[in-house]
Parts: sequence; C-alpha cells; structure tokens
Amino acid sequence: MHIVVCVKQVPDTANVRINPETNTLMREGVESIMNPFDEYALEEALKLKDAHGARVTVITMGPPQADVILRDAMARGADDAVLLTDRAVAGADTLATSYVLSLAIKKLNEKPDLVLFGKQAIDGDTAQVGPGVSEFLDYPLVTYVKSLSVKDGVFTVETLMDEGTDVIEGRLPAVMTVVKEASTPRFGSLAGWIDAKDAAIPAWGAKDVQADIAQCGLDGSPTKVVKIFAPPTKSGGRKVDGREKPAEVVDEIMQLLKEKGVR
Amino acid sequence: MATTKTTKPIQTDILCVGAGVASLSTALALLRKLKAGGCEKLPRVMVIDKGRNVGSHVLSGAVIDMSGFDGLLTADEIKKIPVEARVNGKRESFHMLFGESKSMKIPWMPPMMQAHGYPVGSLTKLTQYLAGLCEKEGARVYTGFAAVELLEDDKGRVVGARTGEKGIDHEGKPKSNHLPSEAVYAKAVVLGEGACGILTEKLIKRKELEGDREQAYAIGVKEVVEVPADEKRVGEIAHTFGYPADMQTYGGGFIYHVSATQVMICYAYALDYADPASDPHALFRKFKAHPTVAEHIKGGKSVAYGAKVIPEGGCYSVPKVVADGALIVGDGAGLVDTLRIKGIHLAAMSGRAAADTLADCWKNDDFSLKALQPYAERLRATEGWKQLRRVRNVRAPFSTHLTFGVACAGAAWATFGAFPFWQVPMEADYKALKVLPGGRMPEPEALEATPTSPDRLTDVFMSGTIHDEDQPCHLKILDRKKCAECIKRFGAPCQRFCPAEVYRLEEGRIHVDFSNCLHCKTCQIKDPYQNIEWTFPQGGDGPRYTRM
Repeated sequence: MHIVVCVKQVPDTANVRINPETNTLMREGVESIMNPFDEYALEEALKLKDAHGARVTVITMGPPQADVILRDAMARGADDAVLLTDRAVAGADTLATSYVLSLAIKKLNEKPDLVLFGKQAIDGDTAQVGPGVSEFLDYPLVTYVKSLSVKDGVFTVETLMDEGTDVIEGRLPAVMTVVKEASTPRFGSLAGWIDAKDAAIPAWGAKDVQADIAQCGLDGSPTKVVKIFAPPTKSGGRKVDGREKPAEVVDEIMQLLKEKGVR
Repeated sequence: MATTKTTKPIQTDILCVGAGVASLSTALALLRKLKAGGCEKLPRVMVIDKGRNVGSHVLSGAVIDMSGFDGLLTADEIKKIPVEARVNGKRESFHMLFGESKSMKIPWMPPMMQAHGYPVGSLTKLTQYLAGLCEKEGARVYTGFAAVELLEDDKGRVVGARTGEKGIDHEGKPKSNHLPSEAVYAKAVVLGEGACGILTEKLIKRKELEGDREQAYAIGVKEVVEVPADEKRVGEIAHTFGYPADMQTYGGGFIYHVSATQVMICYAYALDYADPASDPHALFRKFKAHPTVAEHIKGGKSVAYGAKVIPEGGCYSVPKVVADGALIVGDGAGLVDTLRIKGIHLAAMSGRAAADTLADCWKNDDFSLKALQPYAERLRATEGWKQLRRVRNVRAPFSTHLTFGVACAGAAWATFGAFPFWQVPMEADYKALKVLPGGRMPEPEALEATPTSPDRLTDVFMSGTIHDEDQPCHLKILDRKKCAECIKRFGAPCQRFCPAEVYRLEEGRIHVDFSNCLHCKTCQIKDPYQNIEWTFPQGGDGPRYTRM
C-alpha cells in the first residue's frame, strides 16, 4: 500500500498578531510549524504502515525552507518526501494548490492507494485543498475521519459529525481528511532525525509536474484577497457582582434589562 | 523511569549538550580548525538541546562583546550577525537609582562598561545564526531532545549521554505516543548546558570538581517592549543599579534600544538576598516604573518575557572544567564577567579553547583525561579569563552593603583584581535567607497592570512556555515535611522567587504548576531547604523564546 500525506508549513497561529495599522500579519517572533491537523493525518498513515507495512510519502508545497516539516515527518517514520517549490506556484489559492498537488501525486512512481490531509490548515482554515485534490485525482472523498482501518483494499472509517459518528466503508483508492480526535501524533526519535536531516528530498517545480502555468500560483487563483482586518476587540461585558446579596443583584439586572428596552 | 525498552545506541564522535553559544562555538571552531589544518576525516559533531528550537531556552541582554568571535567568524559573517543595531557610544549611560523616583546619572561611563559599537540584540537569533554556520560545516544540531543522564563506563569515564523519554503520562506510564530514551555514545562530551546545568552540576559533585568558592547566582528577568518608532534611540543603552534592590542585595537593570521600535529591558537580582518576601518579578515591575527607566518604554507594550539565572561568582567559583571524557564550557562553568554581567564572549572563548583541545585529541586519536586536560590551561590563557581575574572579587563585597560593593568593585578593577587582597568568602545563596518574623509572609504589593507592566501570569503567557500537562511533574518536592517547616519559618519563599508563578501556597500546601516553568533554575538554587529538585520535563517543552 502506498499512502501519500499532504502537509503544510504554517505560522504558529497561537502567537500570531495583526498589525492594527497595516492589517498585516506580524511575523516577528512567530514560529513556522507543521500544520497540527496534518500531524494527525501523518499519524494515521504511520499507524497503517505499522500494521500493514505501507510506504508513506509526504508532500508539501511551499518555500525551500518548508523542507523542515518533511524531515520532521521522515523522522517520525515517513519513507519519502517531495518538496514542491517554485515561484510560479507561490500565492496560490486552494484551487491552484489542489491542481499542482494533484499533478505531483500523479507524477509519483507508485500510484497511491490513499491520500491523506489534515481537516484544514490553521492559517487559512478553508478545508478545501483535500476535497480539491480528490476532484483532480477523481478519487472518492471522505472528510473528518477520526478512525481508519484498511483490509483487503477496503477501508472502514468513522467520521466526526455534528451529531454522532458516521461509519463509512469503501474501496481504495480514496482521499481523506483527518480530525484531531483520531489519535495522538508520535514523536520523531533522535535516530530518526539523524537520518531525516540528511535525507535527499527532491524539489519539484511547476514544470517538473507538467503544470499549466496559467493554472498555477496567483494567476491560477480565482480567489482574491480584497481586505484583511482584525475584528474589533470586544469590550468585556458588565459584571454585576454581589454573591452575598443575590436579591439586590436580581433587582439591578432587571433594572438594566428594562433600560435596554426589554419588556 | 517508566520503561526500559531499549533502542539501538547512537554513535557519534563529539556530543555537545545544549545548543548555546559555548557549545556551538566548540562545534564550529573544531570543524573549522581541522579543515584549515587539512584534516581529511572530520569528526561527527552532534549538538542536542532540550528546547523546541535552537535558541528557545537562551536568554541574555544582549550587548554582545564580539571579542569571543575574533578569528572564528569571518568579517562577512560578523557583518551578517542578525542584530539590528550596534551600541551608540554617545547614548550610553549609567544610573544610580534612589527610591521610587530619584536617580543620579553617573557622569562618566566606567571604562569597563563601555560598549560602543558592540552588536545589541537577541541571543536567540544569535544562536540560531551560529547553529546555521555549524550545520554548514557539517555539525548536526537536534532540538527537542533533553540529555537527562551522562553515561559512564565502569571506570567512571563519561562516554555519552541518554536522552529523555517522551510520551509518559502523569503517573509515569507510557502513552500511545511513547518514545523511549536513546543512548548517544561519543569520544568526548562537551557540557554547554548553561547556568546551573543539571548534568553539569551532578558531574561536578560526583567528581568533586568544585571551585574554591560556592557559585553565586542572580535571577535575570527580561521583557521585549515594542515602543513607538524612534530612530534616534537605536543603539541607545542604559544601565542602572540601586533601587528597587535593598542595600544588601546586588541588583541592576539594563535597557537596550535594539531597534527603533524595540526595547529590551532586564533586571538582575542577586539570589543571596535575605528577605524571603523578595519577589524578582515585582522588583522588575517597580524598576520599570521608575521615571528614569519608564521614559525608555513610554507608550510601549511588553510582547515577550523570559527569565534565567546568571552565575555571578566569578573565577573563584569556576569548577574544574575537565573530567574524564567531558569538558565544561560557557555559563555552565560559571564563565561570566561579574562586573559587566557579560558571558557571551567567554562562552565563545571557552568553546574555542575546548575545540583546540578536541582538535588535538582527534588528530592523535587520544581522548584520554590527559589529552583533554590542556583545555583547562587553554581556558586560563584566554583574554576572557584575564578579565575574569580582574573582576574576581567584584561580586562578594556586595553582599555586605551596596556602597561597600561599589567601592570595592572600582578598587578591584583599578588594581587589576588585586583588591580586595583576600579571597572574600561567599556562602551558597540559599543560606542567606533570614527567618520571617512570626513566619508571616506579607501580602504581595498591589501593582497596577499596564501594557508595560503586565502581571506575572501575563508575562508567563508571553514567554510561550508550554509543557505537556499529562507528564510527571518535573519539579520534585523531595520532602513535604520540610515544606511545612519552610512555610512556618520562611513563609514559603518559592511563591515569591519563582518568576513564573509555578509555586502557589494554598491552604497550607504548596501546589506546583510545572507547566509555567521557564527553566530558570531559581527554585533549585534558592529554596532554603534545598527541597526542590529540578528534573527534565519532556524534550521540546519549556519556554519558546524567539527574541530573547
């Protein structure tokens, strides 16, 4: 079995701040990390590898220094990695990204049985690239996977729904997006890092995957960012305190509600 | 430890523990020296660090005395050091603070304090830069791996180190993502753990490597403050001493304008203070509120925070730096110029002295104790060591009285370290605490929270520190009975000295919020009963400094 995991390098949004004057991200002091949801996708792939001896390939599209997340994945147990890096693909929206990623997957020397994504990236939060790639590859799609098993080319998954769980069975190949409820990602070992740090990772450009340049990067992206702004900070509500005198608190709240026009 | 699952041992040639300036200088100097000497087969040099990234756990002012890098870095590399500013000598000042609002500008800068032209910026970024240079030379730097134990052979020679397990739950049981410990064997281990390094301190004790005098520490707390742009102040630096420290405690502040919009502000407070209610973080806030200091950060907002102990004992407190199989470099050996509170240049110089020795060892394929020993002599021959000798008695007199300390510091410097003519004794910091009258800890002072004076927990948040909460608490209280006694006699000073609010006293019991820990080591040093043992949390946990 060959499993491809698509991963993305993202700014650690836990620490991201927006410059209130320019409305741009303040990058100073913000780390780049592997998109946390992609770690769960990778973990599902590695679990299948542990159970069935699959081959796991990780792919990312990003600047040359995004290789570090591929090495991280290899330190944890991924077998191969591909870095898609090219100025021509920079500034891509989810459509152009899905297009180029799917071409890279098609170019791999072994056709994948399973292509895994995190449910979404924490920077854009679109959750569209996984579904986009499934369309370009013409593979069936299952989203929000929280458990996954494979037997004789048939997968059984549980997906996280608003109310309860769906159990879906189907035949590989397939594209899936994975939620954090799936499992706890493993750590890369030091021995794993030693090999991963010096692993040769091929870097492919748009031409290497025979992409139509018009469909790549900013030019191939119908989505346009018109404006970025930080939502106004909410001023905290008013607190009516007085645990000792609940009756007075009730009176005060009633008064406030009346002032607001509540009848 | 939870399991004894074995993994294949890892072999390397030189293992450096800690990716600070001292370790990285060792790695860089060793590889460059061997290459320059035409050495064909180069050693494998591995650097490991417990921080999530290189520089996650380093903290300094930092005005960088570049003398440590002369001849190690090329002129081009020195030019590319990732700092935005150089010290502007015309905007250097030194102030004595008296009480909440008065101060006196010292009319001349003491010559040893002058720093014109030195780069001023983030040590985190400097170490990341050095790590990049090391990797280009062939060294390999791995982060997120804590060396938790030195490996010794049956003759007691250090032969490597063991990394900590990951994925252990709070009861010590392996979780689904458990990663076992890994053993790394090397021909020599370079200990560059930084101030009060745990493996280093244990080795010093085990091998009786102690210096002539106890090590003395200060706790340094630091913030990066973003201020409204002011190009004129780029490179401006100010030092202070006096308020808010009391007259018996050595305390001082640094204010560095590292760019038009960024000020680094630090306060260092000697850990031989006597009052159990002393609160370094509160003192830092009072320092920032002093008008002489406040004008530097007016209209600003604190955006990053960190804390770390600084070894201040000077050369008498430096341990023997060579053990069979191991060399101690940098802050871990106490190599800090006490008068200037500078250690980066000494870290680099010690690293290079270690590298020179290791290069000989490699060429002769002899890493015996005898072959490692020349590192000690090489260290003593460095320019940095001569400076340390000159300030060897600067720190101790301060524990008597500030004015006596200042007078002695001047005299010591002027007489090239000869004065005071005796070796002033110093006790371990933890012995300095005085019993609280009636055992009652006074209420903490109420300080108003402002953008440049956040409270302690807001600061902890800005340090980025994070620990997986489902792991054993890494701050071990050895004996709860001693806690009860400490509460009675000293009012539990841990709740005040910790700059990260790890220790809370609730209903007569100390609670340990280890997730707040900044790895500064104050608790291990200052606890009056020596009842707190700092052990290693999961590798990669701890502060996430990006601009300290």
